[in-house]
Order: sequence, then structure tokens, then C-alpha cells
Amino acid sequence: MDYAHAEKILSVSDLVIKFNLRGRVLTAIRGISMDIYKGESLAIVGESGSGKSVFTKSFMGLLDSNGWIDNGSIMYGGVDLAKYTTEKQWLRVRGREIAMVFQDPMTSLNPLKTIGRQIQETVELHQGLRGGAAREKTHEILRDVGIAEPERRAKQYPHEFSGGMRQRVVIAIAVACSPRILICDEPTTALDVTIQAQILQLLRNLQSKYGLTVVYITHDLGVVANVADRIAVMYAGDIVETGLCEEVFYNAQHPYTWALLASLPQLGVRGEELNSIAGTPPSLFADIKGDAFAPRNPRALKIDYLLRPPFFEVSPTHRART
Amino acid sequence: MFLYVLKRLFQSLITLFVITTVVFLLLRLMPEEGYFGENYDKLDEMQKEVILTEMGLRDPLHVQLGKFYKNLFHGDLGRSIVFRPRVKIWRIIKPKVPYSLWFGVASVTLSLLIGIPMGLFMARCKGHWFDSLGSGYIVLINSVPAAVYYLFIQLYLSSALRLPMLFDARNPASWVLPAVSMSLSGIAYYAMWVRRYMVDELNRDYVKLARAKGLSSTQIMTRHVIRNAFVPVTQYIPMSFLLTISGSIYVESLFSIPGMGGLLVTAIQRQDNPLVQALVLIFSSVGILGLFLGDVLMALFDPRIKLTRKAASR
Amino acid sequence: MSSFDKLTTSMESVTAEQLKDLDPALFEFAPYSENASESRGYSNYAYWRSTWRSFSHNRTAMTLLIGLIVLLCFTFVQPLLPAQKSPTQVYTNAQTGRQERNHAPCAEFWFGTNTIGQDLWARVWSGTRTSLLIGLAVGLWNAVLGIIVGALWGYVRRLDGLLTEAYNVVRNIPNSIILILASYIMRPSVGTMIAAMCVTGWLPMARFVRNQIVIIRDREYNLASRCLGTPTERLIRKNLLPYLVSVIMLRIALAIPQAIGQEVFLTYIGLGLPVSIPSLGNLINEGRIVMMSASTRYQLLFPALVLSAVTVSFYVMGNAFADAADPRNHV
Repeated sequence: MDYAHAEKILSVSDLVIKFNLRGRVLTAIRGISMDIYKGESLAIVGESGSGKSVFTKSFMGLLDSNGWIDNGSIMYGGVDLAKYTTEKQWLRVRGREIAMVFQDPMTSLNPLKTIGRQIQETVELHQGLRGGAAREKTHEILRDVGIAEPERRAKQYPHEFSGGMRQRVVIAIAVACSPRILICDEPTTALDVTIQAQILQLLRNLQSKYGLTVVYITHDLGVVANVADRIAVMYAGDIVETGLCEEVFYNAQHPYTWALLASLPQLGVRGEELNSIAGTPPSLFADIKGDAFAPRNPRALKIDYLLRPPFFEVSPTHRART
Repeated sequence: MFLYVLKRLFQSLITLFVITTVVFLLLRLMPEEGYFGENYDKLDEMQKEVILTEMGLRDPLHVQLGKFYKNLFHGDLGRSIVFRPRVKIWRIIKPKVPYSLWFGVASVTLSLLIGIPMGLFMARCKGHWFDSLGSGYIVLINSVPAAVYYLFIQLYLSSALRLPMLFDARNPASWVLPAVSMSLSGIAYYAMWVRRYMVDELNRDYVKLARAKGLSSTQIMTRHVIRNAFVPVTQYIPMSFLLTISGSIYVESLFSIPGMGGLLVTAIQRQDNPLVQALVLIFSSVGILGLFLGDVLMALFDPRIKLTRKAASR
Repeated sequence: MSSFDKLTTSMESVTAEQLKDLDPALFEFAPYSENASESRGYSNYAYWRSTWRSFSHNRTAMTLLIGLIVLLCFTFVQPLLPAQKSPTQVYTNAQTGRQERNHAPCAEFWFGTNTIGQDLWARVWSGTRTSLLIGLAVGLWNAVLGIIVGALWGYVRRLDGLLTEAYNVVRNIPNSIILILASYIMRPSVGTMIAAMCVTGWLPMARFVRNQIVIIRDREYNLASRCLGTPTERLIRKNLLPYLVSVIMLRIALAIPQAIGQEVFLTYIGLGLPVSIPSLGNLINEGRIVMMSASTRYQLLFPALVLSAVTVSFYVMGNAFADAADPRNHV
């Protein structure tokens, strides 16, 4: 991936997203600014609750009804998506431009419809085909994602498929939309390790075949190492470090990234003490003053409790808030 | 699937058998005055004994039971004692059946036709005025005893809409109020459950995927959610049969409809044991049949039910 | 501090010069304590407090709660107030010697009198007391019996199959038929009425408790507790009971309007309480007989209004409480 000549496809600037939970306001995303480049594989890493899913869902208007974009902009194709309010506007984006693959393939599929119908529905919607032509295309897509005997399998129900195959079906649905950006929300978390590699390989193939920009959301650094060109590390609703894959793995600058990498158990090393990060992430109901990670950071500076550290450039492609 | 239906049928028959036997035994516990009507005080002990023996009430229980079932299979439900002495019960009930049937079917149909769309709209407009209005209606119907609101309907609605207060077979307008009254609780029932299941389904993951695919809310509702929400709703259809039965007992006597429900009330008031017994049997059978049909319906719609065991969701 | 403010507003990238302007003391290491690192994440959650908070935010429920408490207090305090009449005494006019029949509401008889000359006001409140008592008795009994049977049903695996089949059988019978049968067989009285409603009224509760126990046995957080060595008693007390208590209260709250409804139903059919014991069912029935003529319609309206107020309040409050007690609705 050539970043020197890369073109921005999506630009987020100062995004703030809040949720209303029975009267209390929770700030899930606290002012993120980030760019996504065309054709890259970006991995967004962070622990549960850091806001990874919420961040990407906002690109498609899939926030829960009690959430809203409080501030900031999402520039895509010259339009600010953050300003979209009606479903009609979002329907221009969803599927057609940006598609999503969810974590749990079993619940993502309608259990009472055959998978053929579910894929065909997408084909009819986004590729304008009908009837026989749509069915042909459905079989073709099934073959693309590696499901043998597509004619027979298309008539089956989701519960007749194994986990890995179901995830392939979900990917098929996403790809059938012929989007520009594909967001994969923890695509392999619910799968066996052996299947994980296959799915990741599949995604890589599809990416090169269709020229997609892929955003991976994961908390598994192994997956990241496998597929990502660039990494963004999230903590408590904020991005703390972004950089090329090698840069972040070998030259991490933010203490949270250090802690994440350090907590990976090493294979082959015996009697190793497992490192964990002390403390818990902050409650996002309160306004967080300063650096969110400061209380858990043994090397925090006094100023970190007062001000949020700005991004420091380590290299043209590597920045960290520290 | 076929096995499942068979199993349920078998269960229903056992239930019917148990109920019949229990009702039979229970009624033997009843005060003996019921067998004599007004004559109770006029007869002396000996005469009462003779009559009771004649009726077979002094035989050992299992003999009585046997005779009862034998008669049942011949379609003989016994004879009424007080209400219309010595008349075969079947002859008493037969002309009443069409009325009860008509009203029962009409009210279940009305409940379905109005209740289900109401529930759908309430789910669609969740949080808006229609939802609140519907919820208010459901609350009122569920909390205020049917007895009370039936009376109010009869009182106020009939004068407001200029509909007759009592039923008269020759006046088609008089069919309206009773049918509507009987369907009210059914409407609330369906609206509540349809709404609840719709809201549940709308929160499911596959709906989120459908939205991500680019389907509009209307398309999601019509193509995915409604069909999926219907599967559990079908199990409530037979329940509304049961509701209709109890509703009919009330409404029929309130509006003077010559149906089976009204007959039951009269039978109880006059303490005519055999008649009560027969009617209770009939009502129970209808209830059991309804529940059985509901289970079959549910199995039809859900491809996941293939085995005989069903998750005990009730 | 202007450079400070500049920094806070534009947080993107910063240059070395801007940093120099700040107080160097701020760049020393801050004291680090592991305990403090937990503090930001800590939330002060207590189950019942959260339940109460949820409930009290629901304005309709709170209004009804207050209204209901007032109504209930009044119902039981009423006989002690001055100038209250007896509900069963027939009043005769001192001057004419005739019974005070069918008097519209006036200064002496606040709700008027009924067809025999009894004071409707006193009868309504006495009837409410009776009906509430019946409802409460039925609710409590069903709850207690239901819990005991349900717990056994759920815990003792051998009983499960048998009881489930029995339950399936009974469930098929319309409830009203059971009520009718039970009342028919026994002589009319308050005890009979309560007994009739309790014959199968405890089954739904038993079924519910049984389901909960079955889930409890197999839920992972309970398996985990058992692995850690938690004794069964503590498991029941800490894991199961809090949820059960709220549901039991809900069921009792809903049992009261249901019992009143059933009582009205039975009275109408002729299987209710004897006329000498005023109850809401009796009163509604008496009112029904005279409802056709507008002048006596009040005899129906007053009991109906009080009845509706009681039942609607219990129902709405019960549901609101169930919503508030559901931990998934807690923030």
C-alpha cells in the first residue's frame, strides 16, 4: 500500500458522539479526527467499550436511536455524513458506498429465510438485477466467497451452515452491495482459530479483486498483524495512536499501546508472567479531564491530568497522543 | 412435523379425558338439591332415594363413570332435570349452538383484524401518540373487569350509536354491540403481544444487518420482521378462543343472546347439574381444540420446530 | 495562560515552541497509585436504589401510587370517621316511616341509597374493603403456594416430568370454567370465593418459579458460583431472590384487579357472595339491575368508578414496578 500517493476516501474531523441512557448522557466518542485512505486496510484496535463499533457505525447512520452526533464532521465524497438526518439520505450510503460485516454470523442472518433469498435481496437492491439474473449473480458471489455447490446451498437456512460458512455468507451479502468501503466488525472473534485464517484470506482476496478499502475492528492483535496496513489504537472513545503496522508494532509510543503489546502472551516462552494493565477504563458518563489513560499510566505527567495530550508526529505516517 | 402433530393430538385427547372425568367426579360432590328442583322439600327421604337410584346416582362411582362414557359415545349427554325436565340435553343445546358459534367466530375474527394491525402500528410508531393511545386502551381493557366495561358499553354506547341494547335475531343492527364487546379484550390481547414481539424482533441483529445492507425501514418491516414476529404470535390465537368462551358466558346473558353461554348461566342459577356438566364439557373441548390448533399453526410457520419437543416458552 | 488555551482548542498537532511556553513544572511525573486507577471506572450501583429511582421517574406510576395509597388509607379509615353509617342497616325516614329507597346523592347520603334503603357510601367502602381483602388473600396464597411448589418442581428433577404433564393438562381448561365449577360446588361465602380463586390460581406462579429455578441451575453465573463453593442457600438468597421478590410483588399487585374481576364475574352468574356481605361485585350487580333508568344510574356508577380506580392503579403500578425492577433497564 503506497501511502505517499494515497488518496483520502473518508475524513473524520473532531467527531463527538453521545448517547442518552435513561436520562444520563454518555460521551462515547470524544473528539476523533482521522482519515481513511483509498484502498488501504485499516485496523482499529482497542478493548471492549472503547468505542470502536460506535465510531464506524456512525459512518452509516447505524447508531442506536438514543445516540446522536454531537459535533464534528464525516466527509465522504464531498458530503458531510454527520449532517444526515433522514433515512433516505442514509440509504444512499448504506450498502452502496459503505457496507458492514458483523461479529456474530448466527444472529446476523434471518433464521427464517434461506440464505439465497438474503443474498439475492441485496443483489436485487444494489445491482439492479431481477429473477433469474439475480439468482445467477447470487451463485457467482457464493462461489467467490468459497462456498461449494452454490445452487444447492442457496436454498438452505442459516442453521444448516457451520460458523465459518455463515460468516462467508455475511461477507457475501456485504460484497454483493458492491461498496467502496467495507467495515468488518470483529469478523473472526466468534470463529475457531483455524477458520479465522481462512476468513482473513478471503477478505484479502476480495479486497484486491474488488478494489475495496477495508476497515477491521478488532481487539485481537494477531488479526491485525495479519491483515493491516495501518493501525489506529482507541482508548475510552479517543484515538491515542495511529501509524503503519510496523511502526506501531516495533516503535509504539503511547503507554497504552505498550501495555497492549506487552500483555500478549508469547508462545514458546515458559513460566512467563502474564502482564495486565492495572485499573479499569474510565466511566464515560463523566466529563474526562485531561488524558483518559493517565490514572493507569505509571509514567503520566502532571499535565496529563489537566489537558488532553495533542498528537505528536513520530513520522509522517505515525502519530501518538502522548 | 407429523410426529409432533400426532403427539399434540394425543396430549389433547388425554387432557379431554382427564377433564371429563374430573368434572364428572366434581359434580358428584354437588349439593343434592340440584337433582330435585322445586320438589326437594316436598319429597321425603324414601322418594328421594328412589329417584336418585333411578338416575344411577347411587351406583358405585366407577360404574357411573362407565355408564357416562358409554352414553357419551352414543351422543347422549343425559337429560336436564330442572331447566326443562326430562328433555334430552342435546336437544336443548342444539339450537343455541349456531348463535354461540357465530358470535365466537365473529369476535375472534374482529380481534384478529383489528388487533394485529393495531399492534403493528404501535410498534412502528413506538413512543408516538398512536402507541400511547393504544397502550392506554390496553391498560384499561386489562385492568377494568370485563363485567364493568360491558355494562358501560351497553349503557352508553348503545344510546350514543343508536344501537339496540338487547339482542334480537330479526334485527341485524343488534348483532353489532355484542360482537364488538366480545372482541375488545381480544383486540387488546393481540395488540399487546404483536407489539411486544415486533419490538423484540426490531432489536435483533439480523435487522441491524438488513439496515446495513441498505434496506429501508418499511422494507425491513414487511419482508423480515412481520413474518418473524408472527411465529410466536400464532400461539396466542387459540388463547383468544379461550377468552372468547369466558366472554361469551357474560355477554350472552347481558345482551340476552340465546346461546350456550347464557344457557350455562341459567343452568347454574337453576342448579341443573347434568346441564352444567354437559356445557362445561363442551366449553372445555373447544378450549382444548383451540390450543391444539394453535400449536399446530406454530409448528407450521417455524421451520425450526421439526422434533416433537418444543421449548417450553409458555 | 493564553498559550494554554490555544493548545486546548486546537489539539491536532503541536510544535515544540508552543510547549516551551508552558510551565515546566507540569512536565514532571505525576504520582501514580493503582487504587486511583480504579476510581474513575467505579460506579455506585445498588439494585433497589436503582429500581426506586427508575420507578420514581415514571410520573404516571408515581401519581397513581400516591392516589392508591390515599384511596387505600381512606378505605380502611373510613369507618372510624365521624358521621359514617352502617353499610347493612336499612334506613327509614323518621317522618314517613318508609324506607329511604333510591335516594339520589344528597347531604345525608353522600352516594345516595340503594333499592332497599341502605347507604351506598358506606356500602361502597365496605365492599372495597371486602374485595381488597379477597384479592390480597388470593394473591398471597397463590404466591406462597406457587413458590413452594415451583421451587420443588424446579429443584427435584424427578418431579419435573410428572408435574409438567399435569400442568399441561390443567392449562387447557378455561379458567372461568374452573371458577364456575369450584363456586358451584361450595356454598357461597368469602372463604369459598377465596378458595375458588386459589384452586388453580397458584399454577402460573409455580410454573414461573419452576422456570426460574431451572434457568438458575444452569446459568453460567450460577455454575461459576457453585464452582467457587457458594452454598445453595446463599445462591438462592443472593442470585435468585432479588429477582423473584420483585416479580412476586408484581404478581400480587396484578392479582388484586384480577381477583376483583373474577369476583364480579362470579357474582353476576349468581355464584358470588351472599347479599348480606357487601362487595364490589355485589354492588355492581345491584347497580346493573337498576341501571336502565337515569335516576338510579348512580348506583352503578359509584361502585364502578371506585372499582376502576383501584384496578387501574394496581395494574399500572404493578407493570411500572416490573419495568423498574428489571436490571436491564438500569443504567
